[in-house]
Amino acid sequence: MVGKKLNLAGATVFVAFMALLPLVFDSRYLIGVLTVSAIYGIWAVSWDFMSGLTGRENFGHSLFIGVGAYTAGFLNTLLGVSGWWSLPAAMVVAVLFALLIGLPTLRLRGPYFALAMLSGAVIMQRLMLIFWEHTGGEEGIHGIEPLIRSQLVFYYFVLGTLVAVTALLLALARSHWGLVLRAIRGDEATCQAAGLNVTFYKIASLLISAACAGAGGAIYAHYQLQVSPQLFAVVTSITIITMVYVGGMASIYGPVGGAILLVLLTELLRNFGEWRLMIYSCALILILFFLPNGLIAPTWQRIRARLGRRR
Amino acid sequence: MLEILIHGAVSSAIYAMLAVGFTLIFGVARVLNLAHGSFYALGAYGTFVLTTHLKMPLLPAALLAVAFVAAFGVVVERVFVRPMRRSQLGVLMITLAVALVIEQALFLTFGSEYRNVPAFVDEKFTLGHVDVGGQRLLALGVGIVAIGALWLFIQYTRLGSAILAISQDPVAAGYMGIPSDRIFSIVMALSAALAALAGILAGPFLTVQPTMWLLPIVKAFAIVVVGGLGSIPGSILAALMLGYAETIVGYLISTSWTEIVSVAATLLMLVVRPAGFFGRRAAF
Amino acid sequence: MSLLEVEGLDKHFGGLYAVRDVSFSVAKGEIVGILGPNGAGKTTLYNLLTGFIAADRGRITFDGRDLRGLLPHRIARLGISRTFQLCRPFVGMTVLENVIVGALGTAGKNRAGLDSRARALLTSVGLAGKEQLAVDVLSYGDQRRLEIARALAAQPSLLLLDEPFAGLGSSEIADLATLIRRVHAEQGLTVMLIEHKLREFMRLVQRVIVLDFGEVIAHGTPDEVVRHPKVIEAYVGRGNEGFVERNDAA
Repeated sequence: MVGKKLNLAGATVFVAFMALLPLVFDSRYLIGVLTVSAIYGIWAVSWDFMSGLTGRENFGHSLFIGVGAYTAGFLNTLLGVSGWWSLPAAMVVAVLFALLIGLPTLRLRGPYFALAMLSGAVIMQRLMLIFWEHTGGEEGIHGIEPLIRSQLVFYYFVLGTLVAVTALLLALARSHWGLVLRAIRGDEATCQAAGLNVTFYKIASLLISAACAGAGGAIYAHYQLQVSPQLFAVVTSITIITMVYVGGMASIYGPVGGAILLVLLTELLRNFGEWRLMIYSCALILILFFLPNGLIAPTWQRIRARLGRRR
Repeated sequence: MLEILIHGAVSSAIYAMLAVGFTLIFGVARVLNLAHGSFYALGAYGTFVLTTHLKMPLLPAALLAVAFVAAFGVVVERVFVRPMRRSQLGVLMITLAVALVIEQALFLTFGSEYRNVPAFVDEKFTLGHVDVGGQRLLALGVGIVAIGALWLFIQYTRLGSAILAISQDPVAAGYMGIPSDRIFSIVMALSAALAALAGILAGPFLTVQPTMWLLPIVKAFAIVVVGGLGSIPGSILAALMLGYAETIVGYLISTSWTEIVSVAATLLMLVVRPAGFFGRRAAF
Repeated sequence: MSLLEVEGLDKHFGGLYAVRDVSFSVAKGEIVGILGPNGAGKTTLYNLLTGFIAADRGRITFDGRDLRGLLPHRIARLGISRTFQLCRPFVGMTVLENVIVGALGTAGKNRAGLDSRARALLTSVGLAGKEQLAVDVLSYGDQRRLEIARALAAQPSLLLLDEPFAGLGSSEIADLATLIRRVHAEQGLTVMLIEHKLREFMRLVQRVIVLDFGEVIAHGTPDEVVRHPKVIEAYVGRGNEGFVERNDAA
């Protein structure tokens, strides 16, 4: 029980910190960085929920992000729909895509599922370019209306969404649902022999993951005010996976820290201009070798253990 | 019609060279090497550098580039892949990371504009009523010879038998005294060399830019899945199917749709028959 | 009252019959043993019964229901639980979590009380106090007990055990046999048991079915079966029928 209280305390401190930062440092730039990192946090947490728990790494998460963003873009620029409607719409579209690609591919072994999802994202990127007359091609869609005009309030909205998504997925992960997902990672056949409909659980967790990612994509569209096929790129998926690795696989809360850290790192690397992605990729290799359990979650667990002992 | 026949054959040959190497390293070491496309890119870029900056004549430059990429492949296998071997997904991640690093290195060194890899044969030939670039015909010819040579090597040499043994049962092969680690390196070198060769032959008529590694790997994966992982005949057959499917789609619909063909084929095969045509190990 | 009825079951892989024209029935509350040399098709039979592979021909009726075409998790929910030849615990989870997952599949809407039921099960198999241990640190004997606890957590009416004594020492085997007897008596569980360790096996089971090359070559009480010439031939080879007699005398 002490652990739970400490977790809650830690989370509260973290959220308060994130909320107060822009008030202390009145900088549009900072708010911008924090907003982007919160959006990435939503994407990373949603990835961890499915892939981190079940061990089925999804290399095509950018697919859900992209379709969410483009749905928002189309709804807003072509139909003049307000951003508040595009959020649920994006979730629905993302879920549909998850069903389309997930249903046939989830029964495949790890690497095949990963690469099948990657193929899906690549197809979508291609399609966006092929139908450039409708999608704006390389340039994408421009002129999307912002969801909230005030930058600060937008940030709080995104932060709130991040907290809500993380809390929800964390609760699911700690529940029987999470137990089943982790058991699936252990041994699928035995799960079936125990009466669990493994396919249902895998698909359901993919749908949840897709819905959150799609929502994040829509938010992103209404923040950056433009979407481009780059959103579907492999780099996006890999960045998110890196964030989860840094945060701590299957921890659900770790990827939030991972997202913030990596977005910060990207900003700091801006001075390096073209070298950014190179440093990123090298960092990924180092992380894979030296931090297999991540950085954020293990650190928090150690802090929690120390605090727990003091009491 | 004849155009489709010839161009389809050329595409198939290039794809076959890529896919056979990819399936070989999987069959032997159970490694899905996402950096395979990078070997293709490095072959093309290596030849470009040797001919343009070092002013080497084309043939020695090409051979040197192939040798270099083969050696590089061994380095990648030893340094990056081997520590991750216990987890197939770990290998996927690390090879993908390596591919990204190589892409960025190429981007930083050469920029993102398309580069020019010189062709071995500049003239055009006329077969029937069709004009075909000599380079394409060369690619087709060399491809057939290279894969044929590889097939003969595996079927008729001791090393080839060792490779077959390991791909069937690594543990038993180990008991027989077959040094699997050394064989993995050799196979990786062969696999990388084939990919580099494909890059050198195709470079003159396909695009050469830093991101050129991604589509080949997606297609190689498609071919290998359709043909059956670990099966060389399967890869050749699937490469033919894919090469012709793309060419036909390119002629009948439009070239921008060609990439989708392979990806769609992968997904379709994975859904219908995950073991591929001749695969021994299903994707389950 | 027969709980399980198998009629004319056929399964072949390529050209080889793994199971051929197998028919038998198991009454409620029986402990039935399955014997047979390696490769006789015993585990394939279990895979057919639990829906992991589909039979080419034949019928499987469980509690009046035809099991053909049902997915494994459906069959498990109908009341058939199994253990595997090699222990397959859920790695990365604790002992308690393993059993809870075992119960989840068949718990339906009844999620409350799973924790206490799991703990009670662990106590009954002798793993009390080890609930929070990670499964990888368990001894093999304890992993076996966990397998059984997990299988029982699904509240089966038919329990299929696949070589539960494999890899255990003689005192562990005796303990496990006692556990199986107790569970059978207390819960009226019907048990099928594949085993090679004949001594405990013969004392545990009430009836034996012997398979060889996928076919049923004998069935009856343990005593009858062990003297059956075809069974002796299957295990010991032709021309050695006198073998058992001589050893009995000694």
